[in-house]
Amino acid sequence: MIDIDAITVRFGGLVALNEVSATLSAPVAGIIGPNGAGKTTLMNVVSGFITAHSGRVMVEGQDFLALAPHRRAQKGLRRSFQKEQIADDLTVLENVLVQTDWSLTGWSAKRAEAMDMLAVVGLADRADKIGGALSGFERRLTDVARCMVGKPHLIMFDEPAGGLSVDETRQLGDLIVQIHTLTGAQTVIIDHDVELISRICAETLVLDFGRRIAFGPTADVLADPRVKAAYLGTEEVAQ
Amino acid sequence: MDRSLLRITPSGAAGLIFAAASFVFLPMVLGSYWLAIFTSAAIFAMAISGVAFMYARLGMVSLTQVGLMGIGGWVTLRLNYLWDMPFEVNMVLAALATMICGWILALPALRMRGLYLALVTLMAAGGLEILFATYQFPNGGEGFWGVKIGSNAPFRRPALAQTPEAYLRYVIVVATLGFLFIEGQRRLFPGRAWALIRRSEAAAMAAGVNVTLYKTWAFGIAGAIAGASGALLAGSLGLLDDGTFRSSESIMLFALAVVGGARFWLGAVIAAVLFRVLPGLLNTWGVDTDLAFVIFGAGLLHALITAPNGIAGQIFDLVANLRGKKGKTHD
Repeated sequence: MIDIDAITVRFGGLVALNEVSATLSAPVAGIIGPNGAGKTTLMNVVSGFITAHSGRVMVEGQDFLALAPHRRAQKGLRRSFQKEQIADDLTVLENVLVQTDWSLTGWSAKRAEAMDMLAVVGLADRADKIGGALSGFERRLTDVARCMVGKPHLIMFDEPAGGLSVDETRQLGDLIVQIHTLTGAQTVIIDHDVELISRICAETLVLDFGRRIAFGPTADVLADPRVKAAYLGTEEVAQ
Repeated sequence: MDRSLLRITPSGAAGLIFAAASFVFLPMVLGSYWLAIFTSAAIFAMAISGVAFMYARLGMVSLTQVGLMGIGGWVTLRLNYLWDMPFEVNMVLAALATMICGWILALPALRMRGLYLALVTLMAAGGLEILFATYQFPNGGEGFWGVKIGSNAPFRRPALAQTPEAYLRYVIVVATLGFLFIEGQRRLFPGRAWALIRRSEAAAMAAGVNVTLYKTWAFGIAGAIAGASGALLAGSLGLLDDGTFRSSESIMLFALAVVGGARFWLGAVIAAVLFRVLPGLLNTWGVDTDLAFVIFGAGLLHALITAPNGIAGQIFDLVANLRGKKGKTHD
């Protein structure tokens, strides 16, 4: 469970996030909103790349804002970036192993786990392929496999379907839905693809101009007139 | 245990064969003038492997390598005149001391990137240059600095390498071990962390990599390698001169590492040959050795414009192409 409590972020005079609160408890939750709504900023606060002006983030009962970014990863936080971050000169397997290198678990156990997760994403046969030789989708899948190793608690994907074809997006969605069963981790997804969000996310948080405008079961949220207004750009409906 | 650690790549095999051939044949064919030059070249090849590794793996430009060699040399000479320990012990202690200096250098440097990091390391090199020029290198005198006027006290060369020929072999073995140490690091978890840091520091942090720790570790390794090279340099002559450790030499060493090809062992060898053997060659031909700078400049332009992986990268590409063509004709 991830408990976001009154997070405020300011960049100079701009309030990027304004007292955003939400308790995400569904196995797969979504964060949507128009461009500049503060979605990635919220993810950056949770993963530690941006310091919040005020507020609290609790993941599985641990206060995350007090930890350095790499410590959050060691405590079970995973995230992907809008552009997948695969090292070109490492193999697929090595790109996944990086995630658990800090832990003192035995080498063979870590390798076995990495291979298991590569099998889940369908890259087991390409484990020795070098990162630079991968297609965009293979890179994305490697990123997903990396997020799944090391007993994660919370995995956050920032626009994972960006640049993927319809088929690839469907395959990725199917994969993300399995994550909770396979690893026990909760998943949070930012995406513009409302179809993907409504298919795989049980609950969704909607941000607009740094404010929470809706939060709850995805179907209800998407039916909310304020959400429609934010997306379609019509006059804001009376509260 | 990581199984990929002991995998021998074609390039690695070529490197080991090259080292073995140099070990056997170079001391057999070289006269005393060339022995000294090739010994120095082998020592600098090892030092270059340290800067090249930092540049190739982390994109960090260090312009202090020769200054750090000076620290290693200073510590070796100081220990030589202080206690009766064998050369190897002094060399290891010099490498450790220089590694610590590398870490200290890393502290401010880690907050900076690119040009600013290069400038910080260059300033450190400038500071060391002044220290060496002011205090000179120990030669058996009294006190902390250990400098005396007049002839030097005797220097203990390694027991295994009392002759110049044996010393060249000794240096080749140590340099090869240095290369293997760096390659071993690259293949294990530090290498994976470095690769991800180079890709993106944010991604590395998100993967649980302690970016500061691994960058500091890289500085430490480059420092230890520089320290050991400095010790070998001290061992080859039994004395050191502050003129060897000017900050301009550090810049030259880095530039040549780029010309040679920072990602490959061959790049460090080419860089060391350009740095030490080429001026020696010009000297024997009776040509002004400053001509070497012109050649270095041309080499640097060549590397920047057409060969991002340096001359070594071009050679390995050429070999790969030839093998590819050969493979096709057999099909």
